[in-house]
Amino acid sequence: MRLAVVTAMLGLLALPAAANDGQAWLARMADALAGTSYSGEFVCESAGRSERLRILHRVRHGSVSERLVSLSGGGRELVRENDEVVVYLPDQKLAIIERRSARSDLMGALPTFNAGASPWYEVSFAGREAGLLGPAAVVVVRPRDGYRFGYRLWIDEASHMPVRSELSDAAGRVIERLRFTQLALKGDIPDAAFEPAVDRARLRWVRQAPQVGGDAPAWRAAQVPPGFRLSMSGLQAMAGASAPVRHLVYSDGLASVSVFIQAPTPGKTPVVGSGRAGVASAYTTVVQGHQVTVVGEVPPDTLRFIATGLRPADAPAERRN
Amino acid sequence: MTDRIKEQLSAFLDGELPEPESALLLKRLERDDELRGALSRYSLIGAVLRSDGDVPAARQVAARVSAAIAREPAQGGPAIRWRDRRSLARGAAGLGVAASVAAAVVMLAPQFGAELASQPAAVVAELAETPVLPVAAVDGSAEDAGPTYTTPPAADMASGLAPAELANYLVAHYGYASPLVRRSVVAGLIAEPDESGAPGAVPGAEGQAGQ
Repeated sequence: MRLAVVTAMLGLLALPAAANDGQAWLARMADALAGTSYSGEFVCESAGRSERLRILHRVRHGSVSERLVSLSGGGRELVRENDEVVVYLPDQKLAIIERRSARSDLMGALPTFNAGASPWYEVSFAGREAGLLGPAAVVVVRPRDGYRFGYRLWIDEASHMPVRSELSDAAGRVIERLRFTQLALKGDIPDAAFEPAVDRARLRWVRQAPQVGGDAPAWRAAQVPPGFRLSMSGLQAMAGASAPVRHLVYSDGLASVSVFIQAPTPGKTPVVGSGRAGVASAYTTVVQGHQVTVVGEVPPDTLRFIATGLRPADAPAERRN
Repeated sequence: MTDRIKEQLSAFLDGELPEPESALLLKRLERDDELRGALSRYSLIGAVLRSDGDVPAARQVAARVSAAIAREPAQGGPAIRWRDRRSLARGAAGLGVAASVAAAVVMLAPQFGAELASQPAAVVAELAETPVLPVAAVDGSAEDAGPTYTTPPAADMASGLAPAELANYLVAHYGYASPLVRRSVVAGLIAEPDESGAPGAVPGAEGQAGQ
Protein backbone atom coordinates (compact mmCIF):
# COMPACT_ATOMS: atom_id res chain seq x y z
CA MET A 1 0.00 0.00 0.00
CA ARG A 2 2.74 2.40 1.01
CA LEU A 3 4.62 1.53 -2.16
CA ALA A 4 1.55 2.36 -4.22
CA VAL A 5 1.21 5.72 -2.54
CA VAL A 6 4.85 6.57 -3.06
CA THR A 7 4.64 5.47 -6.67
CA ALA A 8 1.60 7.64 -7.20
CA MET A 9 3.34 10.63 -5.63
CA LEU A 10 6.39 10.11 -7.78
CA GLY A 11 4.11 9.87 -10.78
CA LEU A 12 2.55 13.19 -9.92
CA LEU A 13 5.95 14.80 -9.47
CA ALA A 14 6.95 13.50 -12.85
CA LEU A 15 4.00 15.09 -14.59
CA PRO A 16 4.78 18.18 -16.59
CA ALA A 17 3.79 21.49 -15.11
CA ALA A 18 0.94 21.78 -17.61
CA ALA A 19 -0.77 18.83 -15.94
CA ASN A 20 -1.70 21.13 -13.09
CA ASP A 21 -2.46 24.11 -15.28
CA GLY A 22 -6.18 24.77 -15.52
CA GLN A 23 -5.82 26.90 -18.62
CA ALA A 24 -3.86 24.17 -20.37
CA TRP A 25 -6.64 21.72 -19.56
CA LEU A 26 -9.22 24.10 -20.99
CA ALA A 27 -7.22 24.37 -24.20
CA ARG A 28 -6.98 20.59 -24.46
CA MET A 29 -10.68 20.29 -23.84
CA ALA A 30 -11.48 22.84 -26.55
CA ASP A 31 -9.38 20.85 -29.03
CA ALA A 32 -11.13 17.63 -28.01
CA LEU A 33 -14.60 19.16 -28.35
CA ALA A 34 -13.74 20.46 -31.79
CA GLY A 35 -12.19 17.31 -33.15
CA THR A 36 -13.56 14.24 -31.38
CA SER A 37 -16.36 11.98 -32.53
CA TYR A 38 -18.28 10.39 -29.71
CA SER A 39 -21.58 9.00 -28.56
CA GLY A 40 -23.04 8.83 -25.12
CA GLU A 41 -25.77 9.67 -22.70
CA PHE A 42 -25.84 12.42 -20.15
CA VAL A 43 -28.09 13.70 -17.43
CA CYS A 44 -28.74 17.40 -17.07
CA GLU A 45 -30.16 18.62 -13.77
CA SER A 46 -31.39 22.16 -13.62
CA ALA A 47 -34.27 24.17 -12.23
CA GLY A 48 -35.53 21.24 -10.25
CA ARG A 49 -35.71 19.04 -13.32
CA SER A 50 -33.62 16.22 -14.59
CA GLU A 51 -33.32 15.49 -18.29
CA ARG A 52 -31.61 12.49 -19.80
CA LEU A 53 -30.33 12.85 -23.33
CA ARG A 54 -28.42 10.76 -25.83
CA ILE A 55 -25.81 12.51 -27.94
CA LEU A 56 -24.02 11.58 -31.14
CA HIS A 57 -21.26 13.90 -32.29
CA ARG A 58 -19.20 13.35 -35.39
CA VAL A 59 -16.38 15.34 -36.90
CA ARG A 60 -15.53 14.13 -40.38
CA HIS A 61 -13.21 16.09 -42.66
CA GLY A 62 -14.07 19.31 -40.88
CA SER A 63 -17.79 18.67 -41.14
CA VAL A 64 -19.74 18.47 -37.90
CA SER A 65 -22.86 16.37 -37.36
CA GLU A 66 -24.67 16.14 -34.09
CA ARG A 67 -27.83 14.57 -32.81
CA LEU A 68 -29.32 14.94 -29.34
CA VAL A 69 -32.35 12.94 -28.34
CA SER A 70 -34.45 13.40 -25.25
CA LEU A 71 -34.83 10.08 -23.48
CA SER A 72 -37.83 11.25 -21.52
CA GLY A 73 -40.20 9.51 -23.89
CA GLY A 74 -41.62 12.32 -26.00
CA GLY A 75 -39.25 11.84 -28.90
CA ARG A 76 -37.97 15.41 -28.99
CA GLU A 77 -34.62 15.76 -30.64
CA LEU A 78 -32.16 18.11 -32.28
CA VAL A 79 -30.12 17.28 -35.35
CA ARG A 80 -27.33 19.53 -36.52
CA GLU A 81 -25.51 19.27 -39.80
CA ASN A 82 -22.88 21.97 -39.99
CA ASP A 83 -24.79 25.24 -40.31
CA GLU A 84 -28.27 23.77 -40.12
CA VAL A 85 -30.02 22.83 -36.92
CA VAL A 86 -33.39 21.11 -36.86
CA VAL A 87 -35.35 20.78 -33.65
CA TYR A 88 -38.07 18.13 -33.77
CA LEU A 89 -40.98 18.52 -31.38
CA PRO A 90 -43.22 15.58 -32.33
CA ASP A 91 -45.55 16.21 -29.41
CA GLN A 92 -46.29 19.57 -31.02
CA LYS A 93 -46.16 18.12 -34.53
CA LEU A 94 -43.56 20.74 -35.33
CA ALA A 95 -40.02 21.04 -36.57
CA ILE A 96 -37.98 24.24 -36.39
CA ILE A 97 -35.20 24.64 -38.92
CA GLU A 98 -32.50 27.12 -38.10
CA ARG A 99 -29.99 27.79 -40.82
CA ARG A 100 -27.21 30.29 -40.54
CA SER A 101 -24.86 31.67 -43.09
CA ALA A 102 -21.47 30.07 -43.54
CA ARG A 103 -19.99 33.42 -42.60
CA SER A 104 -21.28 33.03 -39.09
CA ASP A 105 -20.10 29.49 -38.61
CA LEU A 106 -21.25 27.83 -35.41
CA MET A 107 -17.90 27.85 -33.73
CA GLY A 108 -16.19 30.61 -35.61
CA ALA A 109 -18.76 33.22 -34.73
CA LEU A 110 -17.49 33.31 -31.20
CA PRO A 111 -14.14 34.71 -30.24
CA THR A 112 -11.68 32.16 -29.00
CA PHE A 113 -11.67 31.99 -25.24
CA ASN A 114 -8.25 32.66 -23.86
CA ALA A 115 -8.61 32.20 -20.15
CA GLY A 116 -5.14 33.53 -19.49
CA ALA A 117 -5.94 36.78 -21.22
CA SER A 118 -9.41 37.13 -19.78
CA PRO A 119 -9.64 39.32 -16.73
CA TRP A 120 -13.26 38.28 -16.24
CA TYR A 121 -12.59 34.71 -15.19
CA GLU A 122 -10.15 33.06 -12.85
CA VAL A 123 -9.12 29.60 -13.96
CA SER A 124 -7.62 27.13 -11.53
CA PHE A 125 -6.73 23.48 -11.37
CA ALA A 126 -8.60 21.90 -8.47
CA GLY A 127 -7.12 18.42 -8.49
CA ARG A 128 -7.91 15.00 -9.81
CA GLU A 129 -10.91 12.82 -9.29
CA ALA A 130 -12.19 9.58 -10.66
CA GLY A 131 -14.27 10.22 -13.76
CA LEU A 132 -16.50 8.18 -16.01
CA LEU A 133 -13.65 7.04 -18.24
CA GLY A 134 -10.81 7.22 -15.75
CA PRO A 135 -8.91 9.92 -13.90
CA ALA A 136 -10.25 13.38 -14.58
CA ALA A 137 -8.67 16.78 -14.10
CA VAL A 138 -10.95 19.15 -12.22
CA VAL A 139 -10.81 22.72 -13.46
CA VAL A 140 -12.66 25.64 -11.94
CA VAL A 141 -13.56 28.71 -13.99
CA ARG A 142 -14.67 31.34 -11.53
CA PRO A 143 -16.24 34.59 -12.77
CA ARG A 144 -14.90 37.77 -11.27
CA ASP A 145 -18.25 39.51 -11.28
CA GLY A 146 -21.93 38.74 -11.26
CA TYR A 147 -22.49 39.16 -14.97
CA ARG A 148 -21.54 35.60 -15.91
CA PHE A 149 -21.70 32.07 -14.65
CA GLY A 150 -18.88 29.97 -13.28
CA TYR A 151 -17.94 26.44 -14.28
CA ARG A 152 -16.45 23.41 -12.65
CA LEU A 153 -15.31 20.89 -15.20
CA TRP A 154 -14.17 17.30 -14.99
CA ILE A 155 -11.92 16.70 -17.98
CA ASP A 156 -10.94 13.15 -18.82
CA GLU A 157 -7.17 12.98 -18.67
CA ALA A 158 -6.80 10.61 -21.61
CA SER A 159 -9.33 11.94 -24.11
CA HIS A 160 -9.55 15.53 -22.78
CA MET A 161 -13.33 15.31 -23.07
CA PRO A 162 -15.45 16.98 -20.40
CA VAL A 163 -17.30 14.14 -18.73
CA ARG A 164 -19.04 16.26 -16.19
CA SER A 165 -19.69 19.92 -15.50
CA GLU A 166 -21.36 22.17 -13.02
CA LEU A 167 -22.56 25.67 -13.63
CA SER A 168 -22.63 28.09 -10.74
CA ASP A 169 -24.14 31.50 -10.19
CA ALA A 170 -22.47 34.62 -8.90
CA ALA A 171 -22.79 33.38 -5.35
CA GLY A 172 -20.97 30.17 -6.24
CA ARG A 173 -24.07 28.05 -5.98
CA VAL A 174 -24.55 25.21 -8.41
CA ILE A 175 -27.50 25.86 -10.67
CA GLU A 176 -26.93 23.08 -13.13
CA ARG A 177 -25.15 19.79 -13.17
CA LEU A 178 -24.42 17.82 -16.33
CA ARG A 179 -22.96 14.37 -16.11
CA PHE A 180 -22.22 11.78 -18.75
CA THR A 181 -23.46 8.34 -17.77
CA GLN A 182 -22.14 6.73 -20.95
CA LEU A 183 -19.46 8.00 -23.27
CA ALA A 184 -17.72 6.19 -26.11
CA LEU A 185 -15.12 7.81 -28.31
CA LYS A 186 -15.58 6.71 -31.89
CA GLY A 187 -13.54 6.95 -35.01
CA ASP A 188 -16.61 7.38 -37.14
CA ILE A 189 -20.37 7.20 -36.85
CA PRO A 190 -22.51 6.18 -39.84
CA ASP A 191 -24.80 8.70 -41.47
CA ALA A 192 -27.83 6.61 -40.59
CA ALA A 193 -27.24 7.28 -36.91
CA PHE A 194 -28.09 10.95 -37.47
CA GLU A 195 -31.49 10.25 -38.97
CA PRO A 196 -34.19 11.48 -36.60
CA ALA A 197 -36.58 8.84 -35.31
CA VAL A 198 -39.52 11.09 -36.06
CA ASP A 199 -42.17 10.72 -38.72
CA ARG A 200 -41.25 13.89 -40.57
CA ALA A 201 -44.22 13.72 -42.88
CA ARG A 202 -46.51 14.48 -39.96
CA LEU A 203 -44.76 17.68 -38.94
CA ARG A 204 -45.33 21.30 -39.77
CA TRP A 205 -42.06 22.98 -40.60
CA VAL A 206 -40.92 26.39 -39.50
CA ARG A 207 -37.85 27.92 -41.04
CA GLN A 208 -35.58 30.46 -39.40
CA ALA A 209 -32.73 31.60 -41.57
CA PRO A 210 -30.42 34.56 -42.02
CA GLN A 211 -31.50 37.26 -44.42
CA VAL A 212 -29.34 39.41 -46.63
CA GLY A 213 -28.73 42.72 -44.95
CA GLY A 214 -26.19 45.40 -44.29
CA ASP A 215 -23.23 44.69 -42.09
CA ALA A 216 -23.67 47.72 -39.88
CA PRO A 217 -25.90 47.00 -36.92
CA ALA A 218 -28.99 49.13 -36.95
CA TRP A 219 -29.13 48.78 -33.19
CA ARG A 220 -26.48 48.75 -30.54
CA ALA A 221 -26.21 48.06 -26.85
CA ALA A 222 -25.40 51.25 -25.02
CA GLN A 223 -24.34 49.19 -22.03
CA VAL A 224 -22.87 45.71 -21.93
CA PRO A 225 -21.06 43.98 -19.08
CA PRO A 226 -17.29 44.40 -19.04
CA GLY A 227 -15.59 42.12 -21.52
CA PHE A 228 -18.61 41.53 -23.73
CA ARG A 229 -18.10 42.48 -27.35
CA LEU A 230 -20.29 42.36 -30.42
CA SER A 231 -19.36 39.20 -32.31
CA MET A 232 -22.16 38.94 -34.85
CA SER A 233 -24.79 41.17 -36.36
CA GLY A 234 -27.32 40.17 -38.95
CA LEU A 235 -30.91 39.87 -39.98
CA GLN A 236 -32.85 36.67 -39.84
CA ALA A 237 -36.30 35.28 -40.34
CA MET A 238 -37.98 34.22 -37.14
CA ALA A 239 -41.09 32.14 -36.64
CA GLY A 240 -43.99 34.36 -35.77
CA ALA A 241 -42.31 37.52 -37.08
CA SER A 242 -43.68 39.11 -40.22
CA ALA A 243 -40.38 40.84 -41.02
CA PRO A 244 -36.72 39.89 -40.57
CA VAL A 245 -35.47 40.31 -37.03
CA ARG A 246 -32.18 42.00 -36.18
CA HIS A 247 -29.91 39.49 -34.41
CA LEU A 248 -26.88 40.67 -32.45
CA VAL A 249 -24.54 38.37 -30.52
CA TYR A 250 -22.39 39.63 -27.67
CA SER A 251 -19.77 37.40 -26.09
CA ASP A 252 -17.02 37.58 -23.52
CA GLY A 253 -15.33 34.64 -25.20
CA LEU A 254 -17.00 32.08 -22.98
CA ALA A 255 -20.58 33.18 -22.41
CA SER A 256 -22.73 34.59 -25.16
CA VAL A 257 -25.90 36.60 -25.41
CA SER A 258 -28.21 36.89 -28.41
CA VAL A 259 -30.24 40.04 -28.89
CA PHE A 260 -33.28 39.96 -31.17
CA ILE A 261 -34.94 43.20 -32.21
CA GLN A 262 -38.29 42.96 -33.87
CA ALA A 263 -39.93 45.95 -35.52
CA PRO A 264 -43.45 46.80 -34.41
CA THR A 265 -45.96 44.39 -35.91
CA PRO A 266 -49.45 45.73 -36.65
CA GLY A 267 -51.98 44.02 -34.44
CA LYS A 268 -49.39 42.55 -32.13
CA THR A 269 -49.05 44.06 -28.68
CA PRO A 270 -45.47 44.33 -27.40
CA VAL A 271 -44.88 42.48 -24.16
CA VAL A 272 -42.51 42.44 -21.22
CA GLY A 273 -41.58 39.17 -19.60
CA SER A 274 -39.01 36.49 -19.05
CA GLY A 275 -38.49 32.80 -19.52
CA ARG A 276 -36.02 30.10 -18.78
CA ALA A 277 -34.99 26.79 -20.26
CA GLY A 278 -32.20 24.99 -18.50
CA VAL A 279 -29.28 27.35 -18.02
CA ALA A 280 -30.48 29.69 -20.72
CA SER A 281 -32.68 32.57 -19.78
CA ALA A 282 -34.58 35.06 -21.85
CA TYR A 283 -35.88 38.52 -21.19
CA THR A 284 -38.14 40.47 -23.46
CA THR A 285 -39.04 44.11 -23.25
CA VAL A 286 -40.06 47.03 -25.40
CA VAL A 287 -37.64 49.69 -26.58
CA GLN A 288 -38.97 52.51 -28.70
CA GLY A 289 -41.87 50.36 -29.84
CA HIS A 290 -39.64 47.47 -30.86
CA GLN A 291 -39.84 44.07 -29.21
CA VAL A 292 -36.39 43.39 -27.82
CA THR A 293 -35.63 39.86 -26.63
CA VAL A 294 -32.31 38.88 -25.09
CA VAL A 295 -31.31 35.22 -24.66
CA GLY A 296 -28.20 33.69 -23.24
CA GLU A 297 -26.49 31.36 -20.82
CA VAL A 298 -25.78 34.15 -18.36
CA PRO A 299 -27.54 35.33 -15.21
CA PRO A 300 -30.95 36.90 -15.95
CA ASP A 301 -29.71 40.18 -14.54
CA THR A 302 -27.12 40.35 -17.29
CA LEU A 303 -29.81 39.95 -19.91
CA ARG A 304 -31.84 42.78 -18.42
CA PHE A 305 -28.78 44.96 -18.18
CA ILE A 306 -28.11 44.57 -21.89
CA ALA A 307 -31.76 44.75 -22.95
CA THR A 308 -32.51 47.95 -21.17
CA GLY A 309 -29.55 49.67 -22.82
CA LEU A 310 -30.41 48.82 -26.40
CA ARG A 311 -30.89 51.76 -28.69
CA PRO A 312 -31.21 52.37 -32.42
CA ALA A 313 -27.75 52.94 -33.85
CA ASP A 314 -28.54 56.52 -34.72
CA ALA A 315 -29.66 57.39 -31.19
CA PRO A 316 -27.27 59.50 -29.11
CA ALA A 317 -24.80 57.45 -27.10
CA GLU A 318 -25.50 57.29 -23.39
CA ARG A 319 -23.01 54.87 -22.02
CA ARG A 320 -20.69 52.21 -23.33
CA ASN A 321 -18.50 49.79 -21.46
CA MET B 1 -54.25 36.14 14.81
CA THR B 2 -51.66 33.99 16.54
CA ASP B 3 -48.03 33.69 15.60
CA ARG B 4 -48.70 30.07 14.76
CA ILE B 5 -51.23 31.06 12.11
CA LYS B 6 -48.83 33.66 10.75
CA GLU B 7 -46.16 31.00 10.45
CA GLN B 8 -48.59 28.75 8.64
CA LEU B 9 -49.47 31.50 6.21
CA SER B 10 -45.83 32.16 5.52
CA ALA B 11 -45.13 28.47 4.99
CA PHE B 12 -48.16 28.20 2.72
CA LEU B 13 -46.90 31.05 0.56
CA ASP B 14 -43.53 29.36 0.45
CA GLY B 15 -45.15 26.12 -0.68
CA GLU B 16 -43.75 24.41 2.37
CA LEU B 17 -46.87 23.80 4.43
CA PRO B 18 -47.76 20.09 4.58
CA GLU B 19 -50.96 19.05 2.85
CA PRO B 20 -53.08 18.41 5.95
CA GLU B 21 -52.19 21.78 7.41
CA SER B 22 -52.79 23.50 4.08
CA ALA B 23 -56.24 21.98 3.89
CA LEU B 24 -57.07 23.25 7.34
CA LEU B 25 -55.67 26.66 6.53
CA LEU B 26 -57.76 26.93 3.39
CA LYS B 27 -60.86 25.99 5.37
CA ARG B 28 -60.05 28.65 7.90
CA LEU B 29 -59.45 31.22 5.18
CA GLU B 30 -62.97 30.63 3.93
CA ARG B 31 -64.51 31.93 7.12
CA ASP B 32 -61.88 34.24 8.56
CA ASP B 33 -61.83 37.71 7.02
CA GLU B 34 -58.88 38.79 9.14
CA LEU B 35 -56.86 35.83 7.95
CA ARG B 36 -57.71 36.54 4.32
CA GLY B 37 -56.64 40.12 4.80
CA ALA B 38 -53.39 39.01 6.34
CA LEU B 39 -52.75 36.63 3.47
CA SER B 40 -53.38 39.37 1.00
CA ARG B 41 -51.04 41.70 2.85
CA TYR B 42 -48.36 39.05 3.09
CA SER B 43 -48.69 38.41 -0.62
CA LEU B 44 -48.47 42.08 -1.37
CA ILE B 45 -45.54 42.61 0.94
CA GLY B 46 -43.70 39.72 -0.66
CA ALA B 47 -44.55 40.79 -4.15
CA VAL B 48 -43.57 44.37 -3.47
CA LEU B 49 -40.28 43.16 -2.07
CA ARG B 50 -39.82 41.15 -5.22
CA SER B 51 -40.97 43.73 -7.65
CA ASP B 52 -39.85 47.00 -6.16
CA GLY B 53 -43.31 48.43 -6.38
CA ASP B 54 -44.94 46.31 -9.04
CA VAL B 55 -48.22 46.20 -7.17
CA PRO B 56 -50.27 44.86 -10.08
CA ALA B 57 -48.10 41.75 -10.06
CA ALA B 58 -48.55 41.45 -6.33
CA ARG B 59 -52.29 41.78 -6.66
CA GLN B 60 -52.21 39.09 -9.31
CA VAL B 61 -50.67 36.68 -6.84
CA ALA B 62 -53.14 37.67 -4.16
CA ALA B 63 -55.98 37.23 -6.62
CA ARG B 64 -54.80 33.74 -7.44
CA VAL B 65 -54.83 32.89 -3.78
CA SER B 66 -58.30 34.34 -3.39
CA ALA B 67 -59.54 32.50 -6.45
CA ALA B 68 -58.26 29.22 -5.08
CA ILE B 69 -60.04 29.86 -1.85
CA ALA B 70 -63.21 30.67 -3.74
CA ARG B 71 -62.91 27.43 -5.67
CA GLU B 72 -62.61 25.47 -2.49
CA PRO B 73 -65.90 23.59 -2.31
CA ALA B 74 -68.23 23.71 0.60
CA GLN B 75 -68.02 20.94 3.11
CA GLY B 76 -68.96 17.64 1.58
CA GLY B 77 -68.11 18.66 -1.96
CA PRO B 78 -65.17 17.42 -3.95
CA ALA B 79 -61.98 18.71 -2.41
CA ILE B 80 -59.55 20.84 -4.33
CA ARG B 81 -56.78 18.61 -5.57
CA TRP B 82 -53.49 18.78 -3.78
CA ARG B 83 -51.73 19.27 -7.09
CA ASP B 84 -53.70 22.43 -7.62
CA ARG B 85 -52.67 23.63 -4.24
CA ARG B 86 -49.09 22.81 -5.01
CA SER B 87 -49.38 24.73 -8.22
CA LEU B 88 -50.89 27.62 -6.37
CA ALA B 89 -48.23 27.48 -3.73
CA ARG B 90 -45.54 27.29 -6.37
CA GLY B 91 -46.91 30.43 -7.90
CA ALA B 92 -46.62 32.14 -4.61
CA ALA B 93 -43.39 30.45 -3.67
CA GLY B 94 -41.36 33.17 -5.25
CA LEU B 95 -42.52 35.44 -2.52
CA GLY B 96 -40.73 33.28 -0.03
CA VAL B 97 -37.39 33.98 -1.58
CA ALA B 98 -37.90 37.71 -1.38
CA ALA B 99 -35.37 38.16 1.35
CA SER B 100 -32.69 36.20 -0.41
CA VAL B 101 -33.47 37.96 -3.66
CA ALA B 102 -33.17 41.27 -1.90
CA ALA B 103 -29.81 40.09 -0.58
CA ALA B 104 -28.79 39.11 -4.08
CA VAL B 105 -29.75 42.51 -5.36
CA VAL B 106 -27.61 44.08 -2.69
CA MET B 107 -24.73 41.82 -3.62
CA LEU B 108 -25.09 42.71 -7.25
CA ALA B 109 -25.52 46.38 -6.57
CA PRO B 110 -21.84 47.23 -6.95
CA GLN B 111 -21.90 45.85 -10.46
CA PHE B 112 -25.31 46.97 -11.58
CA GLY B 113 -25.28 50.20 -9.63
CA ALA B 114 -27.33 53.01 -10.94
CA GLU B 115 -28.73 51.01 -13.83
CA LEU B 116 -30.94 49.05 -11.49
CA ALA B 117 -32.19 52.14 -9.79
CA SER B 118 -33.02 53.77 -13.06
CA GLN B 119 -34.84 50.80 -14.54
CA PRO B 120 -38.61 50.84 -14.69
CA ALA B 121 -40.45 48.83 -12.10
CA ALA B 122 -41.37 46.13 -14.59
CA VAL B 123 -37.72 45.52 -15.29
CA VAL B 124 -36.70 45.36 -11.69
CA ALA B 125 -39.62 43.06 -11.02
CA GLU B 126 -37.98 40.46 -13.15
CA LEU B 127 -35.06 40.27 -10.77
CA ALA B 128 -37.26 38.37 -8.42
CA GLU B 129 -37.69 35.61 -10.97
CA THR B 130 -34.14 34.47 -10.26
CA PRO B 131 -34.44 31.82 -7.59
CA VAL B 132 -31.75 32.04 -4.97
CA LEU B 133 -32.02 28.90 -2.92
CA PRO B 134 -29.54 26.79 -1.02
CA VAL B 135 -27.65 24.45 -3.28
CA ALA B 136 -24.34 22.69 -3.16
CA ALA B 137 -21.33 24.94 -3.12
CA VAL B 138 -19.42 25.00 -6.35
CA ASP B 139 -16.22 24.22 -4.55
CA GLY B 140 -17.63 21.06 -3.04
CA SER B 141 -16.39 17.88 -4.55
CA ALA B 142 -18.75 15.80 -6.64
CA GLU B 143 -19.24 13.09 -4.14
CA ASP B 144 -19.60 15.54 -1.28
CA ALA B 145 -22.31 17.36 -3.14
CA GLY B 146 -24.16 14.26 -4.24
CA PRO B 147 -26.50 13.44 -1.39
CA THR B 148 -27.27 17.06 -0.56
CA TYR B 149 -27.40 18.42 -4.07
CA THR B 150 -30.44 20.53 -4.66
CA THR B 151 -31.42 22.39 -7.78
CA PRO B 152 -33.45 25.56 -7.60
CA PRO B 153 -37.09 25.17 -8.47
CA ALA B 154 -38.21 26.27 -11.88
CA ALA B 155 -39.25 29.88 -11.82
CA ASP B 156 -42.72 30.57 -13.04
CA MET B 157 -42.82 32.10 -16.45
CA ALA B 158 -43.64 35.73 -16.23
CA SER B 159 -46.40 36.83 -18.50
CA GLY B 160 -45.23 38.09 -21.83
CA LEU B 161 -42.77 35.57 -23.17
CA ALA B 162 -44.58 32.37 -24.01
CA PRO B 163 -42.67 29.09 -23.83
CA ALA B 164 -43.25 28.67 -27.53
CA GLU B 165 -41.57 31.97 -28.32
CA LEU B 166 -38.73 31.03 -26.02
CA ALA B 167 -38.18 27.91 -28.13
CA ASN B 168 -37.81 30.02 -31.26
CA TYR B 169 -35.23 32.27 -29.69
CA LEU B 170 -33.32 29.38 -28.14
CA VAL B 171 -33.06 27.65 -31.49
CA ALA B 172 -31.75 30.85 -33.05
CA HIS B 173 -29.27 31.33 -30.19
CA TYR B 174 -28.14 27.72 -29.95
CA GLY B 175 -25.39 27.99 -32.51
CA TYR B 176 -23.83 30.91 -30.67
CA ALA B 177 -23.95 29.36 -27.23
CA SER B 178 -20.63 28.54 -25.66
CA PRO B 179 -19.57 25.00 -26.55
CA LEU B 180 -19.32 24.44 -22.82
CA VAL B 181 -23.02 24.96 -22.28
CA ARG B 182 -24.44 24.14 -25.69
CA ARG B 183 -25.59 20.74 -24.48
CA SER B 184 -27.32 22.40 -21.56
CA VAL B 185 -29.10 24.77 -23.90
CA VAL B 186 -30.26 21.82 -25.95
CA ALA B 187 -31.40 20.00 -22.85
CA GLY B 188 -33.54 22.98 -21.94
CA LEU B 189 -34.77 23.27 -25.49
CA ILE B 190 -35.90 19.71 -26.06
CA ALA B 191 -36.93 19.01 -22.50
CA GLU B 192 -40.39 17.57 -22.29
CA PRO B 193 -42.91 20.21 -21.29
CA ASP B 194 -44.11 20.15 -17.73
CA GLU B 195 -46.92 21.83 -15.88
CA SER B 196 -45.05 25.08 -15.60
CA GLY B 197 -44.48 25.20 -19.32
CA ALA B 198 -41.42 24.53 -21.38
CA PRO B 199 -40.46 25.23 -24.94
CA GLY B 200 -43.22 23.84 -27.04
CA ALA B 201 -45.45 24.99 -29.84
CA VAL B 202 -44.19 27.62 -32.18
CA PRO B 203 -46.45 30.58 -32.79
CA GLY B 204 -46.73 31.47 -36.41
CA ALA B 205 -46.17 27.91 -37.54
CA GLU B 206 -49.55 27.74 -39.19
CA GLY B 207 -49.51 28.92 -42.72
CA GLN B 208 -45.77 28.74 -43.09
CA ALA B 209 -44.11 26.92 -45.89
CA GLY B 210 -44.16 23.22 -45.39
CA GLN B 211 -41.53 20.77 -46.37
